[in-house]
Amino acid sequence: MSATVTINKVQSFVYGEEFSLLDSMEEHQIPVTYNCRGGYCGRCKVQLTSGKVNWVQDSLVSLETDEILVCCCVPDGSISLTI
Amino acid sequence: MAYSTFNKVKNDALKEPMFFGQNVNVARYDQQRHAIFEKLIEKQLSFFWRPEEVDLSTDRKDFMAMADHERHIFLSNLKYQTLLDSVQGRSPNVAFLPVVSLPELETWLETWSFSETIHSRSYTHIIRNVVSDPGVVFDDIVDNPEIVKRAESVTRYYDLFIEMCSEYSLLGEGVHQVNGKEVTVSLSSLKRQLYLTIASVNVLEAVRFYVSFACSFAFAERAIMEGNAKVIKLIARDEALHLAGTQHMLNLMASGQDDPEMVAIAESCKDEVIEIFREAAEQEREWAKYLFKDGSMIGLNAEILSDYVDYITNVRLRGLGLEEMFEIRSNPLPWMNAWLVSDNVQVAPQEAEISSYLVGAIDSNMDDADFDDFDL
Repeated sequence: MSATVTINKVQSFVYGEEFSLLDSMEEHQIPVTYNCRGGYCGRCKVQLTSGKVNWVQDSLVSLETDEILVCCCVPDGSISLTI
Repeated sequence: MAYSTFNKVKNDALKEPMFFGQNVNVARYDQQRHAIFEKLIEKQLSFFWRPEEVDLSTDRKDFMAMADHERHIFLSNLKYQTLLDSVQGRSPNVAFLPVVSLPELETWLETWSFSETIHSRSYTHIIRNVVSDPGVVFDDIVDNPEIVKRAESVTRYYDLFIEMCSEYSLLGEGVHQVNGKEVTVSLSSLKRQLYLTIASVNVLEAVRFYVSFACSFAFAERAIMEGNAKVIKLIARDEALHLAGTQHMLNLMASGQDDPEMVAIAESCKDEVIEIFREAAEQEREWAKYLFKDGSMIGLNAEILSDYVDYITNVRLRGLGLEEMFEIRSNPLPWMNAWLVSDNVQVAPQEAEISSYLVGAIDSNMDDADFDDFDL
């Protein structure tokens, strides 16, 4: 099942089984800030406005319930993000 | 409440708050009240590195070829970082261990502090490499008014917290006469000072270090002092983790997921925390002026560095759920990100220089004398 990722309601792409959402966003030239890619710097924190994600590595930073680190998760079905 | 190195009372650490509960007795990690600290320990251990793994022989030549004002920038930053890590290599242990109540947090504090001692050792490694008498550099740390001024604000919260904890441990809560002076000891004021101390540590690791990091990486952007930049890159990776640790402590307290009393205390500290950030940003901007007093370096000057201070302060304020205090929105030093990317991304060795490439390598300092015994 393909998962569509919508960014700020204006841009969207189909997640292509990359290791993380960050990799997928880079693949689709979506500008996203990041530093560590390891879940501990928190720079790739974005708001998950709808949908669910699966975590592929531990996040080590404080997150609100609607926040995700794109370096640490992949979409579980279609999702929307605010960055 | 006197500290006991092994609290004989059988307690359930899952029900204890992070601080000011019962002293930790059994160092057990099969269960955690706040599993995040166990994850931080694991990550920090996986980051372990030694300064000697990084070859600095080219840096010495680069340093010799530098203009005087660039040497001033380079050495002043090292002095400041030495000060910061001297404080951080001991203070989390001295200040927080006597009042910690969770085994996983106790071990995180020790692991964190230990990694700061590695940073201090790496400054000695770097300084020994570039100057013939490291004593001149180290001695200046306690003589240089620009650094001493910073030492005061870096240690103020720690020192007061340690003093208050000593009084609490010795005298308990209440009003006491100490050396003819009236001292009021209350747990709630201790908790307030704890929150502010952790906030000031957060600022130290989140803002103060980054000015020095920017200068180190700016040199390396010009392909000089690259060995130093590799060391700083490893330090920056550790600092990002420590920063995550202090942010967690502050957020756990403020959100009520730990000690319910801390929610109101955190709220009442908000203005003072913002003031700690403001003071640090102000001092770092002053520091940038001092660094560039005799001249700028290619790619970096006092103004850009000050903008970066404002930018990074905003980022850190957001991390704690606080309002941004500066206008700046975009990163004035975008190339910094490339240096802050961790090595845990797998790349083919021919595509990138691996920071730990020299692990177990032979001594690369060679001169003609090394060939004296060779006969052809």
